[in-house]
Amino acid sequence: MIQTIGLQKSFGDNHVLRGVDLHIERGQIVAIIGPSGSGKSTFLRSLIGLERIDGGTIRIEGEALAEDGRYPKERVCRQVCRGMGMVFQHFNLFPHMSVRGNLTAAPLAAKKLTKDEADAKCADLLARVGLSDKIDAMPSSLSGGQKQRVAIARALMMDPDILLFDEPTSALDPELTGEVLAVMKDLTGTGITMVIVTHEMAFAREVADRVIFMDGGVVAVDGRPEEVFDDPKNERLKAFLRAL
Amino acid sequence: MFENLASIFSILMQGIGYTLTVFAVTIVLSIPLGLLLTFASRSRIAPLRWITRAYVFVIRGTPLMLQLFFVYFGLPFLPVVGPYLKLGRLAAANIAFVLNYAAYFCEIFRGGLLSIDPGQYEAAKVLGFGRFRTMIQIILPQMIKVALPSVANETITLVKDTALVSVIGLSDLMELSKKLVNSMVDVTPYIIAAGIYLVLIFALTKLFEKLEKKAAY
Ligand SMILES: Nc1ncnc2c1ncn2[C@@H]1O[C@H](COP(=O)(O)OP(=O)(O)O)[C@@H](O)[C@H]1O
Ligand SMILES: [Mg+2]
Repeated sequence: MIQTIGLQKSFGDNHVLRGVDLHIERGQIVAIIGPSGSGKSTFLRSLIGLERIDGGTIRIEGEALAEDGRYPKERVCRQVCRGMGMVFQHFNLFPHMSVRGNLTAAPLAAKKLTKDEADAKCADLLARVGLSDKIDAMPSSLSGGQKQRVAIARALMMDPDILLFDEPTSALDPELTGEVLAVMKDLTGTGITMVIVTHEMAFAREVADRVIFMDGGVVAVDGRPEEVFDDPKNERLKAFLRAL
Repeated sequence: MFENLASIFSILMQGIGYTLTVFAVTIVLSIPLGLLLTFASRSRIAPLRWITRAYVFVIRGTPLMLQLFFVYFGLPFLPVVGPYLKLGRLAAANIAFVLNYAAYFCEIFRGGLLSIDPGQYEAAKVLGFGRFRTMIQIILPQMIKVALPSVANETITLVKDTALVSVIGLSDLMELSKKLVNSMVDVTPYIIAAGIYLVLIFALTKLFEKLEKKAAY
């Protein structure tokens, strides 16, 4: 469960988040849409501690990551975020490590798994994203779609309860988005809470339980996909969907 | 003739010990020290950052020869502590070179770190890596690859810079060849000394080519 109350965040005098209130239930698949610059990435990044909010409260599974804009010690923050993973627009694979190294480094560093367990899990997850044959490949030899699938498998190695996706297909050639979306779709229904910032409206409509339209740093619309896409009431949302 | 060449060579080889000592001590100590300075220059403690920046500025902004003179001739004149800072020639040369090269390596490593995509730190963070592990496992290996060509360059410069130790009277390769030229009234010792420097630099060039191949991914 993710709960945010009145999130505020500015970069200098650019007031980006202006009171984001959101409550995401365990296992929900939430798509966040909205115009560029509306604060979608900033919001997502603040959930996992990559941005520090100036005001408001963030609770993950009931534990406070920030309370009224104040953060606990770094160790506590890491503890609160341990059940979350994130997939980035630009993959952020570790270029000096093989695919196997990318997957196993984190669980080994955290002593979460032994070497053998990590290797077995790595093989399982690569099979799941359809990249078993790439286990010893270096990231530089992979296509964008393959990189992103590796990045998803890497995040899954830590058994996250919550996975955040920030435009996971925006950096891909159009013909490669399908393979990544298929892997993401395969994850729905596994009980993992997924929060997905995306411009893939067809995908959002198909897999999301709930669609959030962010605009001007607030949640402007929050509803079921059919409400948001088929019968939008909000004028800004209408304009946004028309412009696609 | 050949007898003459052999004796010139054997005299010069007596100087190469100093050349190689200053080179080895400088490489072995200034690289870790430079790395420490790099971390200090990015520390969360502001005064530590300022001191490092000032240090690098002063070292890079003054001649190495002046620094050598300062350590060997100048330190003993310092009030109070001066009498305790009378160093031998070799020790003074080593200290001045290590302090000087550390500043250059600091800048090379700092540039290497700046070239690393911030996304690498973010990926490490969301995967639960702590600061230290992020540095050791994720950042440093990438930084080394970026920095290696500059480190190679600096190392080759160092071989030639060691000739400066002759100005504080250390009988290195440079100093001995100069003395020989003066006493023999013949340019051959310079040519042989040049050959020896070239052999050293050739070996280093090959070594770094190997290292760069190894660091590629
Ligand atoms: N690190 C940053 N420093 C300064 N401004 C930023 C930073 N990150 C985002 N912004 C600004 O915050 C606003 C919202 O950005 P973002 O959250 O990335 O929007 P979105 O993901 O919806 O396109 C933009 O105006 C952007 O320029
Ligand atoms: Mg964004």
